Amino acid sequence: MNGEEKPVRGWGKRFFEPIKKSMAPRIRELRFSFFLMRKSLLAIVGLAIVLVILILAVFAPVLAPVPEGQRDPLYMPRDFQSPKPPGAEGFILGTGHLGVDIYYGIIWGSRTSIYIAVFVVLVASILGIVLGAIAGYYGGAVDELLMRITDIFLSIPGLVLAMAVAAVLSRSLENIMLALIVVWWPPYARIVRGQVLSIKENTYVEAARAVGSKKSRVLFRHVVPNSLAPMLVSATMDLGVVVLVAAGLSYIGFGPPTGTAEWGKMVSDGQQYFLSTVIYDGVEYNPWWMVTFPGLMIFMFVMGFNLLGDGLRDILDPRLRR
Amino acid sequence: MKMGAYIVRRLLLLIPVLLGVSIFIFTLTRVGGDPAAAYISERMNEQQIAAIYERFHLNDPIYVQYWYWLSGILQGDWGYSRVARAPVTTAIQTYFTATFELTLISIFIAVVVGIGLGTVSAVRKDKPVDHATRIMALSGVSLPIFWLALMLQYVFYFQLRWLPVGQRYSTELYLAQGGPMLHHYTGFYFLDCLLNGNFPLFGDALLHLVLPSITLSFGTIAIITRIMRSSMLEVMGLDYIKTARSKGLSERVVIRKHARKNALIPTTTVVGLSFGGLLGGAVLTETIFAWPGLGRWSTAAILQNDWASILGFVLVVAIIYVLVNLVVDLLYAYLDPRVRLG
Repeated sequence: MNGEEKPVRGWGKRFFEPIKKSMAPRIRELRFSFFLMRKSLLAIVGLAIVLVILILAVFAPVLAPVPEGQRDPLYMPRDFQSPKPPGAEGFILGTGHLGVDIYYGIIWGSRTSIYIAVFVVLVASILGIVLGAIAGYYGGAVDELLMRITDIFLSIPGLVLAMAVAAVLSRSLENIMLALIVVWWPPYARIVRGQVLSIKENTYVEAARAVGSKKSRVLFRHVVPNSLAPMLVSATMDLGVVVLVAAGLSYIGFGPPTGTAEWGKMVSDGQQYFLSTVIYDGVEYNPWWMVTFPGLMIFMFVMGFNLLGDGLRDILDPRLRR
Repeated sequence: MKMGAYIVRRLLLLIPVLLGVSIFIFTLTRVGGDPAAAYISERMNEQQIAAIYERFHLNDPIYVQYWYWLSGILQGDWGYSRVARAPVTTAIQTYFTATFELTLISIFIAVVVGIGLGTVSAVRKDKPVDHATRIMALSGVSLPIFWLALMLQYVFYFQLRWLPVGQRYSTELYLAQGGPMLHHYTGFYFLDCLLNGNFPLFGDALLHLVLPSITLSFGTIAIITRIMRSSMLEVMGLDYIKTARSKGLSERVVIRKHARKNALIPTTTVVGLSFGGLLGGAVLTETIFAWPGLGRWSTAAILQNDWASILGFVLVVAIIYVLVNLVVDLLYAYLDPRVRLG
C-alpha cells in the first residue's frame, strides 16, 4: 500500500517524520482555529488585553523595579506619608494608604492576578478532569459517590463556600487560592463527566477497546482529549472570574495584609480615603485614585479573559465551525 | 410522573445533600479552632472552663459532637451568635428579611431590565443598540461588585448628593417620623412604611434601596440579557415564527406573543441559577452599604471567628439555594411541556 512512499533516511528524520505526520492534522486544525479567531473582533480585543497584562507581569521588575534590599516584591514600597495625587513627586498614579506607590501595585498586581488565575484554574481543572473522567467512564458506585460529593459542593453558592473555607484558614493569598480550588473543581468534574458519557459511546472508542488497549489508556488517550473542548472554554473565562472572586475575598479581608500588591486589597486599602479629602501641597484632593486604578485593572483583566473565552467557544464549538 | 410525587422525591433527595453540607461545614469549623472559645472569657477559672467543655460535649469524639450538634440544629438550637449578641436562629430571622428585601428587588430589576434588553438586542441584531447592550452585558460580568458599589457611592452620594448610603433608613428621619412605632407587617421597610401610611419614611426607605439594589442586580442583568438575547435569536430562526409572520401577524405580535414566550424558558433557569450568585453578591453589597442583612452579619462573624454564626449562615444559604433550584426545575417543566420530570 505504501509502495510509492520513499524510505526516510537519517536517524533524526526517521524519528521526527512520523511525529510530523501524525501532528499534521492537528496543526491544520490549529491554523484553522487561528483563522476563525482572526475573524472575531471581540476575541482579538480580548487577546490584546490579556497580552498587555501578561507583558506588564513579565516585565514587572523592569517597569517597577523592586527597591534595593526588599525581598518580597509584592510588598509595595511606601513612605508612610499622607496620600499624594497622581503625578506628584514622580508617583505616576499617586500614593495610597501608608503612602504606598499605586503604580507599583498596579504593575506587580498583574503578576499576583495571573498567579492566582493560572494556579487555581490549573489545579481545579486537573482535579475536575481526573475525577469527572473516572466518574463518567467507570460509572456505577464510583460515579454515584463522586457526583453526590459534587452535589454537596454545588449546593452552596461559590462565594459563600469560598468564604467558609477561607475562614478556617489563616489570612493569606495562598489560602484564598486553596479556598477557590475547593469551589472550582466540582463544575469542571460535572462538565467533563457529561462529555465522557457521550464520547465513550463513539465507535472509535469501541475500536480502541477492541484492539485490546488498557482501560486507562482508552480513557486518557482517546476519551478525555476529545471531551475537553467545553471545559476549555469555561476554564478560559474562569481565569478572569477566579481573579474577580479572589479580589472580592481579599476585599472582605481574607487576603494578604495591607499594602500588598493585590488589586482587591488595594481597593479595600484605598476605600477609607475614598469619600474624604486629603491635603497635598496646600490643595485639597479627593483621593479617587487609590480605588479607581486597581478596580479598573480587575475589570480589564476579567473582561479580557471573558472576551477570549467567548471567542474560543465560537472556535471550538463544532456546530458553529464550518 | 405526577408533580406531587416528583416534589416529594426531590425533597427526599435533598436530605443526603444537606447532611453532606452539614458534615462538611461542621468539619470546617472544628478544623478552624476551638469551638469553646466563643463561650470562654478571661475571667473564668479552670473549673468553669471545664464545665463549658462538659456542657458542649467537647471532650467527646468528633462524631459524637457532630451528633449533638445535628440534633441541636434539628431542634432549633443553632448556637449563640457572638456578633449579633443573640441566638443564631434569632439573628437569622432578624437579618433575613433585610437580605430578602434586597435580593428580591434586585432580581426584579434584573429580570425586567435583562429580558427587555435581551429582546431588543436580539430583534435589532448587529445594530448599535445590540452592540451597546452586548458591551454592557460583558462589563456586567466583569465588574468587581465592590468596586461598582464604591463608584456609585462616589458619584451619587459623595459628588451629586442625590442618594443616601448606608443602613435601610436615615436615622434622624426614622426617629423624627416615629420609625420605632411602625408596625412591621412584611419586614420590607418600604412596604411597611407604606402600609403604615408613613410616606416620608417610605420615600426614604426607597431611596436607601436604590444604590444597593443597582449594585447587586448589575451582574445578574448582564447574565439575563446574554441568555435572553441568544435564546431569542435561536427562537426567531424557527419555522413557527416564519409561519406566524406569513399569516400576516404584525412584527410586534410575533415578537411578544410568539417568540419571547418560548425564549423565556432558558432564561427562567438562568434566573434561578443566578440566585446563588446574588446571595454571594449580597455579602459584598451589604458589607459596603452597611445593609443590616445576612451578608454583613456573616462577614462580621467570619472576621471574628464566630463559628456558630458562620455555620448557621452557610446552612441557611444552602437550604435556600437548593429550594430555589427545585422551584426553578418545577417552573421549567411548567413552562416547557416537552420537559418531563423524573
